[in-house]
Amino acid sequence: MSTARNIPGDRGLTLRMFTTGLLLVILYGAVVGLLIAFGVPLVAVLVFAGAILFVQYWFSDKIALFGMGGRLVTPEQAPQLHGAIDRLCALADMKKPRVAIANTDVPNAFATGRSPNNAVVCATTGLMRRLDEPELEAVLAHELSHVAHRDVAVMTIASFLGMVAGLITRIMLWTGLLGGFGGGRNNSQGGQNVALIELGVLVVSVVVYAISFLLTMALSRYRELAADRSGALLTGRPSALASALVKVTGDLARIPSRDLRSTFNAFYFTPAIVKNGVSLSNLFSTHPSLDKRLAQLATIEAELGRAA
Amino acid sequence: MGLLNTLLGRTKPVQSNLDALFALPSASITLQSAAGMSCSGKAGVCFKPPSGQGFEEMQAEVVKLLSMDGAAGLRRAKDSYDYDWLLVENADIEELVTQVHMVNSSLADAGWGPQLLCSVFGLAQLPPVPDDSGGSAAGLPTAGPGAVLPSTAFLVYLFKRGTFYPFDIEQELRLKSLVADDLVIESDLDRWFPLWDLPVG
Repeated sequence: MSTARNIPGDRGLTLRMFTTGLLLVILYGAVVGLLIAFGVPLVAVLVFAGAILFVQYWFSDKIALFGMGGRLVTPEQAPQLHGAIDRLCALADMKKPRVAIANTDVPNAFATGRSPNNAVVCATTGLMRRLDEPELEAVLAHELSHVAHRDVAVMTIASFLGMVAGLITRIMLWTGLLGGFGGGRNNSQGGQNVALIELGVLVVSVVVYAISFLLTMALSRYRELAADRSGALLTGRPSALASALVKVTGDLARIPSRDLRSTFNAFYFTPAIVKNGVSLSNLFSTHPSLDKRLAQLATIEAELGRAA
Repeated sequence: MGLLNTLLGRTKPVQSNLDALFALPSASITLQSAAGMSCSGKAGVCFKPPSGQGFEEMQAEVVKLLSMDGAAGLRRAKDSYDYDWLLVENADIEELVTQVHMVNSSLADAGWGPQLLCSVFGLAQLPPVPDDSGGSAAGLPTAGPGAVLPSTAFLVYLFKRGTFYPFDIEQELRLKSLVADDLVIESDLDRWFPLWDLPVG
């Protein structure tokens, strides 16, 4: 990506994202191959997982809005929010998404919807109360970037494999625990074989689940960085996004909040999971660390200063 | 490229599209004969100022160039959404368009095209007594600021789309039908966003 301002694209980020995606695809192929080799009733599992994800994807806007208690607002109800989004959309030449407000003091924002035509951008009242105009605009630009990048679709597809592996693990555990592995067979030789195969499938699906979880989380963090980057370039003010991040993260740590991000229905500005005490390893988080996000924004700021 | 950009989570900043600007003088003539309106002689260019010294210097450069060109009523303003405006006044519509074009193209040429939001041209109701001799096309370069009228409606030019739309709550659609033959009108009504408290007087 070479922009008109001669700001180089982030090759490292692109490469990491590409590698993660590639690994997911390879893993997916390997799993399907293995399952076919083992003779597992694959179709049923795939159809079931596909159906669940499709529902999540198709109704992502409604699920996310409902989960967050967001309601759509008209330009008359929220002129300032609509005005800011109007202008950002004109600047980015994209279709204006629907606008929603969630009445909660947790400062956050999210974008959702299966495609740019069905997108919703939602801000919480807590966010609008805490941030000043440029900061709010920076957060909105970040969310609009999620819409433009079609992150709901990308992450739904990326999390498909993990979902399949998780389902298989659960099915195997249940049937295994209920019936005993390979139990109920007369032929002891055959029973042993079946038990071995089932155990093998179980182990493989647990491993696949773990790996795909890590890859999906990595991909999610890269998508966040990419949205930070595009958003900062859109407003031309990385520092506004940085100060919004610092404000919101500082406040979030003080506000108890429930986990709102169990699925990828929506792309939040900051993770709603608040870690208290021992911090989880970065490997398990959907968002990059604050330090990493701020460092990237500082780099973009420097690039903007140089480009002239 | 669309799919690849989606997969890699990136967007290209959109460049501006300036050619359609030059259709404005003929639209002004149409408006004058059909509705007794014309360009008010006031216009503004709206952009999102990025941080950094580079843009600030560029903007100062453009202002200097314009004043050397004899542009009158040059003014800078900030609106409540934190966008910057460069305001120009000129009773000669051809010159006004040229000046607005110049602001845009110099910013775009310097690589700041992605920061350009829109240009706005004021429209004014002409007095009932026809004194439009000093009006649109025939004005001399020395046309005084006396010929500049207060704006009652606006034509908004979207850079990224290369399209126009009227902004005047009461008669937007009537205005649109009047200028539709002369200007490229934005067909997606969702993109006709309102511009409240315009600094273009």
